[in-house]
Amino acid sequence: MWKKLVKNKASLFGLCLLVMFILVAIFAPYLAPPKWENEPYRIPRYGWGPEPVPPSAEHPMGLTQGKYDIWYGVIWGTRTAFRVGLIVVGLSSLIGVTIGSISGYFGGKLDEIIMRIVDIFMSFPFLIAAVVFTTVLGKGLNNVMIAMITFYWMNYARLIRGNILAIKEEEFISAAKASGVKDWKIIIRHVLPNTIFPVLIQASMSLGSVVITASSLSFLGVGAPEGYADWGQMVSFSRNWLLGVPGDPLHYWYTVFFPGMAMILFVLAWNLIGDAFRDILDPKIQA
Amino acid sequence: MLQYILRRVMLLPLVIFGVTLLIFGMMQMLSPYQLLGLYVKSPEELRNQNLNALIEKYGLNDPIGKKYWNWLTNLAKGDLGYSESANMPVLDALKARFPATLELALFAVVPVVLGGIFLGAVSAVFHNRPLDSFIRIFAVVGWSLPDFVFGLFILMIFYGVLGWFPPGRLGPAAEMIVLSDGWRAFTGMNTIDAILNRNWTVFWDAVRHLIGPVLTLTYLWWAYILRITRSSMLDVMNKDYVRTALAKGVPDATVTRKHVLRNALIPVTTVAGIMVIGLLGGVVIVETVFNYKGLGLLAATAAQQLDYPMVLGTTMFYAFMLVVVNLLVDLAYAFIDPRVRLE
Repeated sequence: MWKKLVKNKASLFGLCLLVMFILVAIFAPYLAPPKWENEPYRIPRYGWGPEPVPPSAEHPMGLTQGKYDIWYGVIWGTRTAFRVGLIVVGLSSLIGVTIGSISGYFGGKLDEIIMRIVDIFMSFPFLIAAVVFTTVLGKGLNNVMIAMITFYWMNYARLIRGNILAIKEEEFISAAKASGVKDWKIIIRHVLPNTIFPVLIQASMSLGSVVITASSLSFLGVGAPEGYADWGQMVSFSRNWLLGVPGDPLHYWYTVFFPGMAMILFVLAWNLIGDAFRDILDPKIQA
Repeated sequence: MLQYILRRVMLLPLVIFGVTLLIFGMMQMLSPYQLLGLYVKSPEELRNQNLNALIEKYGLNDPIGKKYWNWLTNLAKGDLGYSESANMPVLDALKARFPATLELALFAVVPVVLGGIFLGAVSAVFHNRPLDSFIRIFAVVGWSLPDFVFGLFILMIFYGVLGWFPPGRLGPAAEMIVLSDGWRAFTGMNTIDAILNRNWTVFWDAVRHLIGPVLTLTYLWWAYILRITRSSMLDVMNKDYVRTALAKGVPDATVTRKHVLRNALIPVTTVAGIMVIGLLGGVVIVETVFNYKGLGLLAATAAQQLDYPMVLGTTMFYAFMLVVVNLLVDLAYAFIDPRVRLE
């Protein structure tokens, strides 16, 4: 599988991008030394007044609205992106896999009830559900993550349930049952190892879109607090400066370009790898 | 078929009940003071009275079962509370804004679905050749673009630099016509109303304002339809009946059109249905970026100002719409593919 992934030019490009982002996240303290030791996610400001300042030797990406340093925000925003993505995807897949495998393995009434609950959670468009739950919990990045997990686990639950239904009747499961192995042990030892792999791949590939949604909430103004290193917020800073000055419509291009590009490349990396994976795993396309 | 429809329709009240329960559950995380807005009829009521008296009056300290029933009856009457951010009752705001969002979604669905199917089919026919790779990269890039970033780029180029497609729903001149006495609002959707009123100034102005958001949505959603069409076409192309048709000398183009595409489109219908739901939800961001006054912008503004009645109202509205659309999609699917009914 690795070979296929590296052989395909698009997915290789995706892999390289991803490695670059991981390196940026790891070496953030060296790339952009924090001004306040204890609050590395607070973006330093250089000066007063709202107007952005173009890139210079000192601030390679310029200063955005409120004189926040764009370079600093982009670098530390990478950490925010990974943190939000990993926590949301990790916890919601953990919850989803647990509930989904119980539902699929035991079947019957329990399965019916769980699936109706899943339907109810699915009746809300993800973004809108995340927005409303965040406003109810109170603005802030932690609440954004809680809200997203609450309305995201069902996707994984459905996936794993489908896979389990497909292998439930296989002989090795019946053999384990007949020899008196406990249900939870069968699930962990026999069912999950045979079903979880595609789900894990799906889960990791949704990391890009999860990060976009979290940024969207910051963009809408219910996410990260002002001045926190977050790409979505950096982009929302640029909204008031989009039209430039008379005679020079692209006067403030850097305010949207750098944080926007960071976000685009981040998601592109995940999607390129995901696209290749989907082809590798799709048995229909093999023929 | 009838049995299938009945079974699906019977689940509807259950899901709707669950939706109200979930929203009510979220409401319990708010204090009675924050919830007052859901019950009062006008802002004056909040300003001129003792809040504790109001909490007593609307039974916000009642036992939870009674509170739920109370809220549910209000809901059944269409009473969703008063919105501070929109300055009117929540239901009125929803009614006023819905046509705008529907108009945007309708305008976006056509290019997304038709374009997506076309690109997907081309991609499958040229499987693993340069054109296929090109289309797929084009689509995956679109899929990776965060909607608000791409929307802002579009706005910057097509409005800031070129001045072609301004934000908003109508320019000032067209706005004057729509607000004047001679204008009859049939649907609330500007383009359709303009046609019915035979006013081409308004029509073109409305279209001009729609292009930016539609362009953004189209490019972002193409990959979705394209990917399904492509993989389902590739699947069908390997089927025996396609080989038979080709062997007996049916021209390539005819086989592609009649045997492959028609069968491959079955899964596409489901995805298209799901996508309409996604579009209706996804417009929140696009409407905010383009300052297009629809439901999404309403919800976003309300969320920023912590206007709970409005936020909960739009969510409820979206959830109900989604439940209904889901049902329609399932029924349409069963209608197109007889195998589904037999399960």
